[in-house]
Amino acid sequence: MSDNILEVKNLIKHFKSKNGTLHAVDDVSFSIKRGQTLGLVGESGCGKSTIGRLILGLHQATSGEILFNGQDICKMNKKQIHDLRKDLQIIFQDPFASLNPRMSIGEIIGEPLLIYKKVKRAELDSEVRRLMDVVGLSKRFINSYPHELDGGRRQRVGIARALSLNPQFIVCDEPVSSLDVSIQAQVLNLLKDLQAEYGLTYLFITHDLSVVKYFSDKIAVMYLGQLVEIAESDELFKKTVHPYTQALLSAIPAPNIRQKMQRVKLIGELTSPIDPEPGCRFAKRCLYSQAQCVGQDLEFKDFGNSHFCSCCRADELLNTTISQ
Amino acid sequence: MNRSKLLEIKDLTVEYRTDDEIVYAVNSLNLSLHSGESLGLVGETGAGKSTTALSILQLVADPPGKITSGEILFEGDDLLKAKRDFLRHIRGNKISMIFQDPMTSLNPVYSVGDQIAEVIYLHEKCSKAEAQQKAADMLEMVGIPKDRYDEFPHQFSGGMKQRVVIAMSIACSPKLILADEPTTALDVTIQAQVLELMNDLKVKLNTSLLLITHDLGVVAQVCDRVAIMYAGEIVETGTVEEVFEHPKHPYTIGLFRSIPTLDEKVDRLKPITGQMPDPTNLPSGCKFHPRCPHMNEVCTKMKPAMTNVAGTHIVKCLIHEGKLDPTEIMEEVNYVR
Repeated sequence: MSDNILEVKNLIKHFKSKNGTLHAVDDVSFSIKRGQTLGLVGESGCGKSTIGRLILGLHQATSGEILFNGQDICKMNKKQIHDLRKDLQIIFQDPFASLNPRMSIGEIIGEPLLIYKKVKRAELDSEVRRLMDVVGLSKRFINSYPHELDGGRRQRVGIARALSLNPQFIVCDEPVSSLDVSIQAQVLNLLKDLQAEYGLTYLFITHDLSVVKYFSDKIAVMYLGQLVEIAESDELFKKTVHPYTQALLSAIPAPNIRQKMQRVKLIGELTSPIDPEPGCRFAKRCLYSQAQCVGQDLEFKDFGNSHFCSCCRADELLNTTISQ
Repeated sequence: MNRSKLLEIKDLTVEYRTDDEIVYAVNSLNLSLHSGESLGLVGETGAGKSTTALSILQLVADPPGKITSGEILFEGDDLLKAKRDFLRHIRGNKISMIFQDPMTSLNPVYSVGDQIAEVIYLHEKCSKAEAQQKAADMLEMVGIPKDRYDEFPHQFSGGMKQRVVIAMSIACSPKLILADEPTTALDVTIQAQVLELMNDLKVKLNTSLLLITHDLGVVAQVCDRVAIMYAGEIVETGTVEEVFEHPKHPYTIGLFRSIPTLDEKVDRLKPITGQMPDPTNLPSGCKFHPRCPHMNEVCTKMKPAMTNVAGTHIVKCLIHEGKLDPTEIMEEVNYVR
């Protein structure tokens, strides 16, 4: 088995809509090493959740390959996908919508165990209690219903459910963005501990760059369905190449009064992902765009240390150390 | 700058009563705001931030909400005793509000321009045409071209809608703007644009701002003063310099430690343990004691008072009141960022 647990190659997902074809994910490639975390960052509508769902086989890709342990998820039939879910799980963003309100916490966590016949009925209860213990949920909630729990606890239920089958890989789709900061930190620590203990691999989807820096080994930045930059976490923050990544980084208000925002200005707002022109989709908002940015397909350039960026002017921009 | 008090909230208590329980949303809250100043009100879900803002404009739904005691003085008038006509004159004119969700705070069947013009027409002695003219100017002021006057909210993106809401809130040059999580629903790059706009307008119009948020980063960029709320009370307040550089209350310190920052490398966050208390059944003594790392027996019995620690920096904690004095605690609490 190779070092990479997951390899995504030239993944494309288009949705048909009334007004044309929506390019949700366009020609995205990346890989994740076993036991590591890839942070997938971008603004709303950039296709990051779609990628998460494609990996789980919840959407059918338009074209491209998703190799999980060497097997292509896009070519699997229903039975194979069913088996795959033992190894591949997801934690959803909204712990209010992703738990069945008519099932008790014990039933929610135990359901996957019964479907996959991992434990005998008699042992179910003790296994559920063990899982609740692992995620730090008090056992008195076993017969409670989701509405009785607050957001942080509900998210722990979601995590326990994802862990129940002992997966190798978990897609975390904005797992903390609906939680308060103090609870968010608790859940992030829990996810980190679980990774260390069970050797889990995460695809961590989020819009919050400070969370992703804390959490990820590698970060991929997306803009309107295109991957624009991918690098090791430290490297990306040290040497930010793509103008969009720079804008994104500079837009975060730092909780530090000595550090006033020095924003890299963006022109306008997100453009439509429906039937976009070929070339860099960010070009319309980019301060450095030139005629060459539009029309030709994106090409990834290597900047060393497995740092890749799609900007066609990246070399020039790096050399002139972009003045803001 | 004129340093007179524009808004003063004294001893405000708000409860939500249902048949079987009472939610204690705001408990004896004191707050003041000078003109031209911007204050950040920070707290987690259920801390009572929004209820405080709604109380100022008397918008707390009654029933179940009930303001049981307190005074809210705006330019010397107690809004809690004010007549309905007076409140109508104030709302949208002298005090305006920006709500969290721009998608639901605009009327979908009126054009954005007419929605702004309505506020002006209602509050200023002018003709409809003049109001429309001024509304168009307001749109320009927040960076939306005039020719989009006749468009409807669904034709705007989230950030643009929030700009429209801001245009509406500043249309009558209010003395005070209450902004309830104005950028929470927006993406970071759009959030940065909106914050910049609010900063510019604040300087241009010399309006006071009460900014409600859970994001300490936003406060650092926009506010002069900050008040940290926990379980319906203000636990710490001061200028942003005082609170951000020398946080004193264990809750505030915990909040800062919970945020991963971009410029430091942390291996592990040190979050506050436990959960927010149940507002129907608040802890005795200091409301933060079940989650506090320095909890002592005194904390479960005695209610802390507001203690002035330096300048305008006020903390509500028994440690700083001197009721607890082990030195190692002081060292930990006098943590400097």
